[in-house]
Amino acid sequence: MIEAFNNINNAFCGFLHINPYIQGVVVLLCINVIAILGMAVLTGFTRLFSFGNAGFMAIGAYCAAILIVRHSVNFLIAMVIGAALAGFIAFLLGSLTLKLKGDYFLITCLGFGECVRVLLNYFKKFSGGSAGFPGIPNYSSMLFSVLCAVLAFFVAWRFIHSKYGRNLTSIRENEVAAEAVGINAFRYKRMSFTFSAVYAGWAGALFAGYMMYVVPTNFALNKSIELITTTVIGGLGSLTGSVLGAMLVTLLPEVFRSLSNYRMLIYGFAVVLIIMFRPNGLYGYKEFSLKRLINRFKGKPKTGKEAAS
Amino acid sequence: MFLQQLITGISIGGIYALLATGYSLIYSLLDFSNWAHGEFAMLGAYVAIVFANMVGVPFLLAAILGVCGGALISFLCEKVVYRHIRSTGAPNMFLMIGAMGLSTIFQQVANLVFTGQYRSFKFKLPVSTIEIAGAYLGVLDLISLLLTAVILVFLIYLINKTKFGLNVRAIACNAKAARVLGVRVDRSIASVFLLAGSLAGVAGILYGMKYNVFPTMGNIGLKAFVASVVGGLGSVPGAIVGSLLLGILETMVSGYISSSLRDFFSFALLIVLLLVKPSGLFGVDVQDKA
Amino acid sequence: MTDGIKASAADSRVTELEDRVLLLEHKLAALESKDPVLEMQHVEKHFGGVHAIDNFSVRIEQGQIHGLIGPNGAGKTTIFNNITGIYAPDSGKIIFRGEDITGSSPSRVAQLGIGRTFQNIRLFANLSVLENVIIASGKDATYNLPQAIFHSDKYKKREKQINEKAMNLLEIVGLQDKANELANSLPYGHQRKLEIARAMALDPKLLLLDEPAAGMNADESLELVEFVREIRGHFKITILMIEHHMDVVSNLCDYCTVLNFGKTLAVGTPAEVKSNPDVIKAYLGGNE
Repeated sequence: MIEAFNNINNAFCGFLHINPYIQGVVVLLCINVIAILGMAVLTGFTRLFSFGNAGFMAIGAYCAAILIVRHSVNFLIAMVIGAALAGFIAFLLGSLTLKLKGDYFLITCLGFGECVRVLLNYFKKFSGGSAGFPGIPNYSSMLFSVLCAVLAFFVAWRFIHSKYGRNLTSIRENEVAAEAVGINAFRYKRMSFTFSAVYAGWAGALFAGYMMYVVPTNFALNKSIELITTTVIGGLGSLTGSVLGAMLVTLLPEVFRSLSNYRMLIYGFAVVLIIMFRPNGLYGYKEFSLKRLINRFKGKPKTGKEAAS
Repeated sequence: MFLQQLITGISIGGIYALLATGYSLIYSLLDFSNWAHGEFAMLGAYVAIVFANMVGVPFLLAAILGVCGGALISFLCEKVVYRHIRSTGAPNMFLMIGAMGLSTIFQQVANLVFTGQYRSFKFKLPVSTIEIAGAYLGVLDLISLLLTAVILVFLIYLINKTKFGLNVRAIACNAKAARVLGVRVDRSIASVFLLAGSLAGVAGILYGMKYNVFPTMGNIGLKAFVASVVGGLGSVPGAIVGSLLLGILETMVSGYISSSLRDFFSFALLIVLLLVKPSGLFGVDVQDKA
Repeated sequence: MTDGIKASAADSRVTELEDRVLLLEHKLAALESKDPVLEMQHVEKHFGGVHAIDNFSVRIEQGQIHGLIGPNGAGKTTIFNNITGIYAPDSGKIIFRGEDITGSSPSRVAQLGIGRTFQNIRLFANLSVLENVIIASGKDATYNLPQAIFHSDKYKKREKQINEKAMNLLEIVGLQDKANELANSLPYGHQRKLEIARAMALDPKLLLLDEPAAGMNADESLELVEFVREIRGHFKITILMIEHHMDVVSNLCDYCTVLNFGKTLAVGTPAEVKSNPDVIKAYLGGNE
């Protein structure tokens, strides 16, 4: 089945003359987009912070890898199980920790992520330890990853633009008021946390198929920080902004190779400057829309909501 | 053996406490976790090592310069970044994100300027051990322990018995009311950043003497953060108790169970503790009331 | 293929039935009137050693406007917070339309049909006026996650209804022209009205207003009195309100309870209360 997918991909890429390097970049971009969409729902729309999403990525990656390599499970099923397991663990963890206030919740997420990494290092028989888990077949072809990313965006978009997203946003804006209009904040926060973990696990499973082997350091605290950084750059409260942020963060270092040493430094500055001067990120609460762009070029007056934001 | 572990634990816990009290002070005033705090320690240590090893000034002077360096950077962060973010009326979370960005910047700058290399102080360190009741104790550990104790006692005195401390406590209680009553809030906050930065500088130098100086050493800030959460965010005595507990726990786990599981136990215990006591050991439960 | 058609037919049938149930519920609510809407029995709440509310009892009948008055710190907002579940009372009972809601969570209380406003306005500041009201219609959004993702007929129908209902509410409070503006860009008086519209989206049986006239001058509070009356007339709703302005209370309230330091000083019509010597001594005497 993997072969069939890869053959289609090769035929497609051959037809369009897309070389393997570009394919790799696109796969990486798709992985980042999926992980960032999860963060965007959690941080941008619910204003909850998780320094543990790298841990959920690890769960998705290792679960899928182990199922495929040791138990010869079909990769699609393995990926779904990996994402679902990450979500399930987030649901349990969230049930316990989401009652904690702000920074206390945040530190438990961070602690969880670190625990996952330490345990993966420690149980060598299970995970291969710090040497990594090798032998994963290459199932994350470009075409497949793009399909995943598009599906992920579609689902996230519809999720956010329904009562679910509205309720999350109301918690972000004012939790006490949200409760006062009948929204069970705890339940919705847990839903948001689970959603972001499923996306992280999904991204992790794709990552495993792309790298073909995984090591715990792939999913260290720095990865979580990078995810948050990207979300902030893209804009807290905008899905399209988050995708744009993911593109920027993935593609810039590829385009400016000589700057790759300064990558994290630039991100750091970007975050500080954005938080100081454009705290809603590059895109703020607005979603990208062609209509608005055209209107802007034509110099049409803004509507009230845009003018105010 | 046990006594030895205990003393080592307390001494590393003391270093955490120097940082954790800074976290707590800043949290009590501004309600946010200053993620860049560990980086202040790292930069302080680098300042000290540059002066001690490259410029060649006496170690004590270099150490003092290092402490000043930590204080200055902390002060600048407040002056340039945090105050600006506060003035926009943004939610506290944005302060934390800003701090996270600063932390990334400092770590990367250190990495670019000093490379990832581990550096040790050329100053001859008292690495010898002395025997007390059958336990071999490092002189360095004992010195660091003593120094930390003196500083922490001084800090508690400062907060509880001086005008400065009174101002700080007043702001922590209610910044608006304090301002109305004539407390110069911004100035007091800046002083707290200076104080917290210098404590971080001391912690960085002590840590660097023991484990070398390297760009990612600021990650001890994370441990200090954990310690201050265990103690209860915003509580200085809580931060000290939490730090000592964490230090002892870490050395005990490393000594008796497995050093690679050390962090697992710290974090797992943190989570369990918070489930039992959601605001840490000494924290006050603040409710957002209607 | 036919299965799909059957399923969607069944789906729309379910939606239809749900609509009828909703309608019947409304009718039922209108019929049952004799029982009190809200009853609080011997409710106590302490903070540390302070008795925030001491043995508080009240009975609010269908359609009444009941006022809670008293100086600052008398425990008025604490009573609201006890009703809405922000605090659980230390002892006593709170009964809402025959159901014991003592210690229920705020969201549960809201779902049961108690809407509220806040003393210091709490809107969803960065969302539009319309969205503020839509969010409060959560119980009308009876679709599930897959239906939301695939935009099923039920999703579309429900969303359309919610939208219409919200616009309708905005029209009633006179904010229909501002539907797409951000909530925090509205002037103060409009924000108060929006908060009430938002509370009304819950289809509440009881509305709690926490100092609706705070920060308003005499003219504005007069307008508010008219507005609250209109709301009551339009929705046949029961209202419990905290208010400092005595003229607002005398104009609006059928009954009122006067509190001082957590204790109930007097209960009665505004006129009765005004002439009560205890009340004059403790509260009104100082002001008038």
